[in-house]
Amino acid sequence: MAIQIKVPTVGESISEVTIANWLKKDGDVVKLDEVIAELESDKATFELTAQSDGVLKILKQQGTTVPIGETICEIEPGAAQAPQPPKAPATASTPQPQKTESKVSGGIKEMKVPAVGESITEVTISTWLKKEGDFVKLDEVIAEVESDKATFELPAEATGILHIVAKEKETLPIGGLICKIEITGESPVTEPQEKKETAVSASSGGSDKSYAAGHPSPAAAKILSEKGIPANQVQGNGVGGRITKEDAVKAQPSTTKPAETKAQPSQAAPVISSGGSRNIRKEKMTSLRKTIAKRLVSVKNETAMLTTFNEVDMKPIMDMRSKYKDQFKEKYGVGLGFMSFFTKAVCAALKDFPAVNASVEGDEIVYHDYCDISIAVSTPRGLVVPVIRNAELLSFNQIEGEVVRLATKGRDGKLSIEEMTGGTFSITNGGVFGSMLSTPILNPPQSAILGMHNIVERPVVKNGEIVVRPIMYLALSYDHRIVDGRESVSFLVRVKEMLEDPGRLILGV
Amino acid sequence: MQYNVTVIGSGPGGYVAAIRCAQLGFKTAIIEKYDTLGGTCLNVGCIPSKALLDSSEHFINAKEHFKEHGIDIPAPKVNIKQMIKRKEDVVKSNVDGIAFLMKKNKIDVLKGTGSFIDKNTIKVTSSDGKETQVTTDKVIIATGSKPTPLPFAPFDKKRIISSTEALTLTEIPSHLIVIGGGVIGMELGSVYARLGSKVTVVEFLDSLIPTMDGTMGKELQKVAKKMGMDIYLGHKVTAVENKGKEVVLKAEAKDGKVLELKGDYCLVSIGRKPYTDGLGLDKVGIETVKGQIPVDDHLKTNVDNIYAIGDVVRGAMLAHKAEEEGVFVAEQMAGQKPHINYLLIPGVVYTWPEVASVGYTEEQLKNQGRAYKTGTFPYKALGRARASMDTDGLVKILADKQTDEILGVHIVGARAADMIAAGVTAMEFRASAEDVARMSHAHPTYMEAVKEACLAATANRPLHI
Ligand SMILES: Cc1cc2nc3c(=O)[nH]c(=O)nc-3n(C[C@H](O)[C@H](O)[C@H](O)COP(=O)(O)OP(=O)(O)OC[C@H]3O[C@@H](n4cnc5c(N)ncnc54)[C@H](O)[C@@H]3O)c2cc1C
Repeated sequence: MAIQIKVPTVGESISEVTIANWLKKDGDVVKLDEVIAELESDKATFELTAQSDGVLKILKQQGTTVPIGETICEIEPGAAQAPQPPKAPATASTPQPQKTESKVSGGIKEMKVPAVGESITEVTISTWLKKEGDFVKLDEVIAEVESDKATFELPAEATGILHIVAKEKETLPIGGLICKIEITGESPVTEPQEKKETAVSASSGGSDKSYAAGHPSPAAAKILSEKGIPANQVQGNGVGGRITKEDAVKAQPSTTKPAETKAQPSQAAPVISSGGSRNIRKEKMTSLRKTIAKRLVSVKNETAMLTTFNEVDMKPIMDMRSKYKDQFKEKYGVGLGFMSFFTKAVCAALKDFPAVNASVEGDEIVYHDYCDISIAVSTPRGLVVPVIRNAELLSFNQIEGEVVRLATKGRDGKLSIEEMTGGTFSITNGGVFGSMLSTPILNPPQSAILGMHNIVERPVVKNGEIVVRPIMYLALSYDHRIVDGRESVSFLVRVKEMLEDPGRLILGV
Repeated sequence: MQYNVTVIGSGPGGYVAAIRCAQLGFKTAIIEKYDTLGGTCLNVGCIPSKALLDSSEHFINAKEHFKEHGIDIPAPKVNIKQMIKRKEDVVKSNVDGIAFLMKKNKIDVLKGTGSFIDKNTIKVTSSDGKETQVTTDKVIIATGSKPTPLPFAPFDKKRIISSTEALTLTEIPSHLIVIGGGVIGMELGSVYARLGSKVTVVEFLDSLIPTMDGTMGKELQKVAKKMGMDIYLGHKVTAVENKGKEVVLKAEAKDGKVLELKGDYCLVSIGRKPYTDGLGLDKVGIETVKGQIPVDDHLKTNVDNIYAIGDVVRGAMLAHKAEEEGVFVAEQMAGQKPHINYLLIPGVVYTWPEVASVGYTEEQLKNQGRAYKTGTFPYKALGRARASMDTDGLVKILADKQTDEILGVHIVGARAADMIAAGVTAMEFRASAEDVARMSHAHPTYMEAVKEACLAATANRPLHI
């Protein structure tokens, strides 16, 4: 009798699934525990395995949504002994159902873009760490992959020879084919094999390509590791393109490697530009950059954004900080920066003006009774905004600790998606780059963002006298759809008052 | 006392780690349970064995080769007591040198057995039972290795001996049986063969120095036979018995035939095992695997502040490998990012002629299925070798078939141990065989054999053959 295969219970609160993919065709012989289909819920993707050996009869087609418990296929056990349908060549004419799963087949492992997180639909190959034809080991990191949210390391799914399918900077959908690994099991080669040296001339120009191009000398390798620069981003000027110690010493970290426009010494001399370079350079946008672009434009189009300004006399905070910073550092092991003061002040003000901490969701306004503060961190790959959770509950040292932790992870490209989602309000500090004043753009779906700027000594009038004070301009951009002018302006005034008189932070007044 | 780094064991791994730590500004201590510093290598390993190899080499030259060089002397005799004494002087000057280096680098030397109390506290028990404690941020374990005994015939140190005793014999054995045709067995076997002992080597595998390229083992076997050694390959030793005045060995060949040998000494050189006795690893939760301390790629143990290097961890049991690891760990602690290319750690056997290799062996390339080409050049065809009458041996270069990149350098011949450094350099820079062939090599030198073998590997065009 045929065994009916039903949609299994995949998790609480999941009531239905969609058949994302049949990995087997109607009439295929399947084996016990072989993956036959992929099911998708709103939360995740699951594999459906055969519950017996036999012949598959598909009842529900790809793309249909079925409730938990419903029968989606049957397996006729007795037929398992039936001859295996001929392999690939014979079925070549019938299009195979597209497999999204990585599969071992005939000693070749096809590696596909894994589902890296909800809401991520495509990724870009940012760097291949291994070259075509390289021998790779299982779990060895072979490439860096970038989505609009984060960077991931891609580990090899098998041990063998790498065949690259998607080139660097290419963008692939989830499930897209990245590379193939010809499984060899053990290490046949440790060095890449490329074609034979072509130039056998007496000139040992740095540019002749050879199999050893980009190979760092032992000293160069150490220097590059310490600078965190992958060897493939360095132009080797040694024999055959080898990276010399000098190349490594001079190497600068950069995410996009410029096409090495080395000025000719003869051209450097004339000051009057006559024969200057007219080169342009085109580079594909990374997914991160594309997403940033899309988001920024949509924020401008879809919100009613405007900005209010104020200024803060930073003297009280600076005095307090210089008085306690050593003790603070000693006690907590982190420095006392300005971020903790700003975060505390913002959290207090958000309590008073909940609309500033709210977001629009369709026809509804979502108010948050907690303050998850996104802090903008500039990284070599672009701006990322990790979140300090429940900042309203944290002490100064906890906030400073979080800032350091998240900023470091951000710079190393190690932030997880969770760490970057769900903020209710943002703080950005353009002051670190020297900005005097700016109008920050909202971080959707949030409805306000505070911009900090540089601290400059300015003449101000206090008690009828002109005095010199360290002043920072503050900017609050907000979504006028849900935040009124009164609220936004009062919010910023509140923040200013608390910063100028930090005692208020303690008393909550 | 409070230290940044405490090193346990003062062999080449430990003392080099300590020096590098001190250079990098760490307050450093080194703990050694023996009276002298330098570990296995300086006291009972590399240095004393080379001292005796050199002495015996002089003797054999005087005895067999002087005449042909036109030097007539009365038949030379071995004064074994003096030979051993000179060896001890060499050891002493070397270990004193290490003591000086410790002082120069302001490293505190703590004499006694080091044993963990916890991951930051180490108890040092000196030979008179006195105990002191040091606290330390980081620890480097470099406790080395000890000779492995046969399970059925432990070392009695009288007739059944390890390399340590073989280096301090006060008489020349009339028949020395060596179990294990690896590096140590072949080196010490040659010492006594030259001094006049009958030497018989019994090896379980089908080749001498089995971990090296097959050609090396074969060449070494030829030379050993010339020296008068008896070699039994593919024999499994089943019994060794001390009968008072002599030792009797039984071994079984693959076909079941039993071999019985009688000698006055039996040197068991079947390998060495990592040594962690008395270290108190259980106090910090480190568990050894087959005796070794497991470490990650940073040579860190499963305990965050404890590192291990040298013979006590995975990899070749070689002094220079231990040294590289010592430097590596110290620099890492200082936040640097050094590298070790384990493929390019050379291996050397100090027989005469010497054997030295780096990179892949031909067997490894075959197993990998890699397309390679071979270039060899015999010492016989070398002017320099004829002049010194060191015509045994050859250089073998393995290169990638497509790229010509050198994948292995294997030398058996005079001065191989010193020459292999050139192979390491070439391979570190990923030179092709032709690159080396196009570099000027001084004439006449033994190194010309390397150049010629590279020519042979490049396009089969050696000049002098
Ligand atoms: C006969 C012979 C010849 C050799 N020839 C060569 C050669 O030519 N070339 C080569 O590269 N290698 C050679 N070797 C191998 C070489 O000696 C070792 O690889 C090298 O010594 C390993 O260094 P290490 O620092 O790891 O340990 P070791 O040199 O073994 O040093 C470990 C030290 O730690 C001490 N120790 C152990 N436990 C404790 C404790 N709990 N507290 C305090 N101190 C402790 C020991 O007393 C010892 O001094 C030879 C070995 C032998 C036996």
